[in-house]
Amino acid sequence: MANLTIDSVKERTFDVIVIGSGASGGWAAKEFTEKGLKTLVLERGRPVEHVKDYPTTNMFPYEFEHRNEIPRKEQEENPIVNRCYAYHEDTRHFFVKDAEHPYVQEKPFDWIRGYQVGGKSLLWARQTQRWSDFDFEGPARDEFAVDWPIRYKDIAPWYSYVERFAGISGNKDGLAELPDGEFLPAFPLNAAEDHFKNALKAKFPNRYLISARCAHLSKPNQIHFDQGRVQCQNRVLCQRGCPFGGYFSSNASTLPWAQKTGNLTLRPFSVVHSIIYDEGKGKATGVKVIDTNTKEEIDFFARVVFVNASALNTNLILLNSTSNRFPQGLGNDNGLMGKYVAFHNYSATISAEYNGLLEYKTDGRNPAGGGYIPRFRNVFKQETDFLRGYAAAFSARRAESRNSKGVGEELKNSLVKPELGPWQVGSHMMGETIPKENNYVRLDKSQKDAWGVPLISVKVEYDENDRQIRKDYYEQMREMFEAAGFTNIKTRDTDRNPGLDIHEMGGVRMGHDPKTSLLNGWHQLHACKNVFVTDGACMTSTGTQNPTLTYMAFTARAADYAMNEMKKQNL
Amino acid sequence: MDKLIKRRAAIRNLLIIAGGAMVLPACYRNSGKASIALQNLTISEDEENLLAELTETLIPETTTPGAKSLKLHLFVLKMVDDCYTADNQKLFVEGLKGFNDHFSKQAGTSFADASPEKRQEVLKSIQDIKQKDDPVKKFYDITKSKTIQGYLSSKYVMTNIVKYELVPGRYNGYFPA
Repeated sequence: MANLTIDSVKERTFDVIVIGSGASGGWAAKEFTEKGLKTLVLERGRPVEHVKDYPTTNMFPYEFEHRNEIPRKEQEENPIVNRCYAYHEDTRHFFVKDAEHPYVQEKPFDWIRGYQVGGKSLLWARQTQRWSDFDFEGPARDEFAVDWPIRYKDIAPWYSYVERFAGISGNKDGLAELPDGEFLPAFPLNAAEDHFKNALKAKFPNRYLISARCAHLSKPNQIHFDQGRVQCQNRVLCQRGCPFGGYFSSNASTLPWAQKTGNLTLRPFSVVHSIIYDEGKGKATGVKVIDTNTKEEIDFFARVVFVNASALNTNLILLNSTSNRFPQGLGNDNGLMGKYVAFHNYSATISAEYNGLLEYKTDGRNPAGGGYIPRFRNVFKQETDFLRGYAAAFSARRAESRNSKGVGEELKNSLVKPELGPWQVGSHMMGETIPKENNYVRLDKSQKDAWGVPLISVKVEYDENDRQIRKDYYEQMREMFEAAGFTNIKTRDTDRNPGLDIHEMGGVRMGHDPKTSLLNGWHQLHACKNVFVTDGACMTSTGTQNPTLTYMAFTARAADYAMNEMKKQNL
Repeated sequence: MDKLIKRRAAIRNLLIIAGGAMVLPACYRNSGKASIALQNLTISEDEENLLAELTETLIPETTTPGAKSLKLHLFVLKMVDDCYTADNQKLFVEGLKGFNDHFSKQAGTSFADASPEKRQEVLKSIQDIKQKDDPVKKFYDITKSKTIQGYLSSKYVMTNIVKYELVPGRYNGYFPA
């Protein structure tokens, strides 16, 4: 943690400033430092060092005071984060508590955040699927957003580039709608999952169950050992932080890699207030930071700024970066910044039982989580009344039940002799939502946070398209489940608020035309070329795929472009 | 520093419940209060002892440890105190206070004096109570479910009987059932 005492402009000047240390910020840091550029990474939260700062990582279940349950009082004080699937006694130190970082909800929106070095890359579900041209060309075909300024061929080599370093497990499935990557061996499906896969193959053309692709080192290569990471040990305790570096996080991978170059300055406790714009030079010159410990305001300077603060905070920072030239926020000439926010819709689940293949059970744990059904609706052509579609997770397990009816020795004995039940199978929907102008974030005019930064105000809702997608998911999955011989099928609307799927995107979308978008095909602000946005804020549409792999590929590509432009003196 | 760490470790070992959770002790046992610090529940020493007996009836000492030696009654108190709603805490305490009366009416003798067979018989009759907000029923249900949870997630069971693997290092989706 260098540079806590900085007293001159020279010492506060870098080649590049990266705002945020999560999955995409970590990649920017790696790329720039590796190429010899002095890079400052700003992180609003506290430091989290790989292994050293994973306090619960080696704890046994009985070592948790409440057996991993969050005490009631803490739940009530933090209703938003309490709804997150990964928030428990063993992970709570990596989540933002509601009251500490308030925001305004014009409509209910569960904003799940991780303010620390590594950000949410410590906490993610690690599912990593590429986009295809069906996703990049979708908006142009369906006219539900502006056209993406890039296509699959632009990003494909960068997917490969980040996959090789991060370590992605998967099979080469040969699907046009979900391109193959540079894979480590997949975590295999289990007996019941394979059964479902075969049932789909037999009865549903263009519908597939594949092994979930995930950012785990199933069989590490030298590049992973070089990072100090080793094989995934199937603990499935990932969100505590992994001492093996078995899954990809900034903390285990990109940040220590950047640190080794000697070119990284990592500055935690640094809330970014705004990006500094110099009208004379016609470009950004640096970043204004509030030190969260001292409340001191400090300016840092650089030739290039990468904004990777996570989608909504990236919007917040840019909207708060006002000047005479940009009274509505940096690069926001068209007034569209903060609009067309979209997200993923995980609000539907389906479960059932399978009474076949009872000669098998599972042993150990699968970090990939099971299977993945790529989007099969409206892929090759528009075939339904709704726009876009959904992917789905699918997994199966043998549930163990314990007879707890007895009392005394009878109970004591039955508790430790669980009976193996039928296979329990389940799926949840991963729906695409349509970016709309009236789903937006903006700055609250009257309220500021503890560091003098305006609060962000969020208005994001489901719409009729989302409801139709959900209905279709229930119908199609039920039909597929029935075809596989599953019984006791139950659908459930989880009735959750938008945001809880933790895939908020957009607000600073990419596009060809500065009139209808904020960023060009290289992630540069159209109107301020030395500021790049490569996190979820840049997304023009959302796809159904989990987004993090795409952010990482975007970042590596944009960093490469920025370095070339700097060399050519264009930035 | 070393001494401090050792002392801490010693205290930690003393306070371990079910081989895991650590709780702070109330200052003086002779106060007649519960032996652990509670934020929301007011439990007397006698009530705590009754709870201990009840959990021991549910999971008795055999050739392997039972509820009392695993301190499962303290785990029950800790969980109810920290994780239950105020309504359920109220029912729990009410049920605990009314338990002996209810038991005596059914058995003709106090819980303490009843034979293990008689205890089990009455407990099963409480299990069959249909009225969900009956305090004795609620108290019993909570106690039983937390005793079971505490037992199955105790260090003893997780290291000796149903072994928990922190590092499985494998996954087999076709393991013989």
